[in-house]
Amino acid sequence: MPAQSRRPPNPLTGPRRPSLNVVLTAVVVVLAAVIFGGILIFGGDDEKPADQAAVSKTLVPDDANALTQAPADGRQVTLVEFLDYQCPACAAFYQNVTSKIEKDYADRITFVTRNFPLDSHPLAQLAARAAEAAAKQDKYVEMYTQLYQNWNDWAVQGDSVRSDVRAATRQFEGYAKAIGLDIKQFRADIDSAEVRKKVQRDMADGEKLGVDSTPTFFLNGERFEPEGDSFADVERQLRAELDEALDQ
Amino acid sequence: MTTQNEAPARGLAWLYVVAGAIGLLAAVALTLEKIATLSNPDYIPTCSFNPVLSCGSVMESAQASVFGFPNPLLGIGGFSVVVTTGIAMLAGFRPPRWYQLGMAAGTTLAVLFIHFLIVSSLYDIGALCPYCMVVWAVTIPLFWYTALATWPALAPLRRVHSAILALWFVVIIALIVQRFWSYWTSVL
Repeated sequence: MPAQSRRPPNPLTGPRRPSLNVVLTAVVVVLAAVIFGGILIFGGDDEKPADQAAVSKTLVPDDANALTQAPADGRQVTLVEFLDYQCPACAAFYQNVTSKIEKDYADRITFVTRNFPLDSHPLAQLAARAAEAAAKQDKYVEMYTQLYQNWNDWAVQGDSVRSDVRAATRQFEGYAKAIGLDIKQFRADIDSAEVRKKVQRDMADGEKLGVDSTPTFFLNGERFEPEGDSFADVERQLRAELDEALDQ
Repeated sequence: MTTQNEAPARGLAWLYVVAGAIGLLAAVALTLEKIATLSNPDYIPTCSFNPVLSCGSVMESAQASVFGFPNPLLGIGGFSVVVTTGIAMLAGFRPPRWYQLGMAAGTTLAVLFIHFLIVSSLYDIGALCPYCMVVWAVTIPLFWYTALATWPALAPLRRVHSAILALWFVVIIALIVQRFWSYWTSVL
């Protein structure tokens, strides 16, 4: 080694230029901060596709059924309901709360329903599959509506839940005809592995999210906790939270 | 030559101690949360805040026990070795070549594993677990500086070591930001 290169530079007078490594690191960090910050602050509202995609896929998978769809160019407010078609509380929610929300917020929010059929309801699985089979023919909303509007006919008998799968199958086929489904296709789909898997997937997602009863709601990813003594209270509360989310 | 080698070796030793200790703490925390979840099915982990930041949904996934037992047990074992090696090096231990190769192999497997977990967390589970992210964050520099110290072929990259590390972190942060976009915008 040449002798002069061993001479230590004077730390006070010698040139102290930052090393290439320090410069490059600073450039990477600063650029990243500027780009992320800029997109987050200025690009927030017109990044719609990313906005929607980012709602946790566990909550809203790509193939989830939606009753209503928020406009692509507006504020993305997403209400998710985990439901069991045969559960009396869900039917009561439909009657008193969600059917009104579906109508009044039709063009403003995305209202997604997920299957969470409970073991205590013998026809809940079948009903979920009927709705998913209809979804395959793009008539999900129609079947959802049929199932809830005719709930007293197929789901309960007096105070107890019905359990006759064959009778329910006939009734659901009747609804399928009423909404104009290809009935052969509907029969094939309702028993298909694909539809069964989708219902299973919904239940698994619900469990991951801590759902243990129906209906369970999530508003923009946050669990909605109904308060108050009456459905009117819950409806008011839900509307207030939806309006607040839409105003943000 | 000795003085040139001393500094990086001491730096690597401190990295092993500090990053290894942080990783070890995170692995212990995850294990304790897992035990609490097992003994009480209604227990909500302290790191589950909402559907996005939720170690509950991550811990319950299949990827959380890839080898049939909870992953953090691997972390407890692995990070302990890292911390111990760091302390031994500070005490004067000069790892022989075979020991360096062992550390390089271990940290390489670890870094591959955490990238599999990152992809799972983002695109399959759709949630982030804070303790797991701590493990991601310490495993990457542990791998990187071990590799730089072990493989002569990487010598040119030593001049820009932290720039590459920063870029690596930026890419992962970008993927996280992109994936959970609406969550971050709703937090702001």
